[in-house]
Amino acid sequence: MPGFENATPGVLVIMALMIGPVLYYIRAARRRDLYVRRLAGVDAIDEAAGRSAELGRPLSFCTGITNVSPVLYACLGVLYYVARKAARYKSRLLLPQNNPEVMAIAEDVLRDAYRAEGRSAQFDPRDVRFLSEEQFAFAAGYIGLVQRERVAGAFLFGHFAAESLILAEAGQQAGAMQVGASVSPEQVAFFIASCDYTLIGEELFAASAYLTREPIQLGSLYGQDRAKLFLLLMIVAGVGIATANSLWPELDLTNLDALLHLGWSLGL
Amino acid sequence: MNVRTGLIKIVTFLGGIYFFLEFVLPGTLFGVKIDAYHDQISNGFITVGAMAAGLGLINLLMQHGSRIVFRRREWVYSAALLTGLAIMIVVTYNDWSGTRRVAEEVAEITRLADFAERIRSDREKRVEGVLPVAERNRALRDAAERVLARVEGEIQGFDLDRFGAGSIDHGLARRYLAEASAGASAVRAALETVTAPGTDLTPNTAAARALRGVADSWRNLRNLEYEHSTPKHVYRLLFEGLFVSLGSAMFSLLGFYIAAAAYRAFRVRSAESSLMMIAAVLVMLGQIPFGVWIWSGLPEVRLWLLEVPNSAAFRAITIGAGVAGLVMAFRMWFSIESESFDGEG
Repeated sequence: MPGFENATPGVLVIMALMIGPVLYYIRAARRRDLYVRRLAGVDAIDEAAGRSAELGRPLSFCTGITNVSPVLYACLGVLYYVARKAARYKSRLLLPQNNPEVMAIAEDVLRDAYRAEGRSAQFDPRDVRFLSEEQFAFAAGYIGLVQRERVAGAFLFGHFAAESLILAEAGQQAGAMQVGASVSPEQVAFFIASCDYTLIGEELFAASAYLTREPIQLGSLYGQDRAKLFLLLMIVAGVGIATANSLWPELDLTNLDALLHLGWSLGL
Repeated sequence: MNVRTGLIKIVTFLGGIYFFLEFVLPGTLFGVKIDAYHDQISNGFITVGAMAAGLGLINLLMQHGSRIVFRRREWVYSAALLTGLAIMIVVTYNDWSGTRRVAEEVAEITRLADFAERIRSDREKRVEGVLPVAERNRALRDAAERVLARVEGEIQGFDLDRFGAGSIDHGLARRYLAEASAGASAVRAALETVTAPGTDLTPNTAAARALRGVADSWRNLRNLEYEHSTPKHVYRLLFEGLFVSLGSAMFSLLGFYIAAAAYRAFRVRSAESSLMMIAAVLVMLGQIPFGVWIWSGLPEVRLWLLEVPNSAAFRAITIGAGVAGLVMAFRMWFSIESESFDGEG
């Protein structure tokens, strides 16, 4: 089709491979229960919430320097669950914030969670605290908050940069049970070293589905796993083609993208 | 689905489809320039986001203001925070207005240069509906006279001693003053001829060039002067001297935290932690001369560990998170919300 710029066959095929299984499994999840393997880090959320109630100390949920993005929405699913637990156990849940836009959304989620538990009166907007937009000023504010309030459970979910270890060590020093989850591979290492449980990469996105077991979230999780299977097959095929080209140049095998382009130009 | 939820879903879908099409479609499709308003639309989205900027400030004022008013525990720290906030707002406003003042002074001269060139270009293009060239040139000369008189007056009374005799800034200021003074004379010389009868508008170009020269020298001089002013000193003291230094202090904590975290992580408690410790020791030894002294092959081992198993793990995490993010974005776009967030609960 003439005129299209980035709508290459590869992009369209990959989009179809990503989205098709998601839609299929969302429908499937409405009809039957889908199995999700156990995630120790997610199970620890209940443990941390219970521990906080027993000790009479607050919980904290930090989304780090996450902007409004898909990662934030994945975190909000977990926040909603944690907030309902906190409301049920009459624990305080502190939300230190770095971004005003995220703060407005997170406050709304917190309010909804308290309302869902029938504990609206218990919701205190002062627990949603804007600290600073500056990375290290935010980290300094977080250290002070965690130490002063002596939090019993700290959840670090979202996007983090150099401040990740500062935040995690602050919780460690306060004796908090910590669950960390980040999509940045560099920060995952710090969380593994400092947190009691760590969710690695996409487990952050899976956490909400695992906790709520809602068909939409479970279906998405299953769908994205199947999409990754397609990607894996494409990677294996690509490696095979490249290896064959390297070993037997006379074969002159074309790559996957070129095959797709060829199909596109032939109108297939 | 109530009206509010429906409206949000429609706006979300339209916003999503706009950026999707903006990515896949070319700038011009079937002769229609579809990217003509992209900048304005993007600015619109930024503006909506900027509306939330004040929320942080309001939250700070509510949190700490109430603590001060009701004398709650540790209210003194809240008072210190709000005092710091107020001082920084005043100092930053002063800095911004000082910089703007300099820019406005220079813009006045630059506008005159633009006007001088415009007279010539309008004449060359035979633009109709404008005043005669002689009249416009007279207006240019009158306006330039006023600006030059002010600039020269300030040059006369300029106090070079404030930069400290013999300093680099003193030398620079003297040079800018001389350039501005010479530029003003050049402008005057050019303006003497612009109103002379005839159609030759070359002097307009010369006047414009000379005016731009004056503008550059004046900008440099005023900026240098502003750098030595009290508002700038206070701003630098608070921002670079205090804020940046405190940020660096926080960052330096990382060094200690890494040591503490590494100690916990590398304790040999299980097969996994033993493996991690061995890998860490090999990477560290491969990085330092002592490791090379032990065995020259260690840098190769380090490189292999970083580039093969480490890269593979990094890519696996990145691809997995990328696919999950894409699916989440798709759900957001089509408002395939979980029951928790569908607004109906």
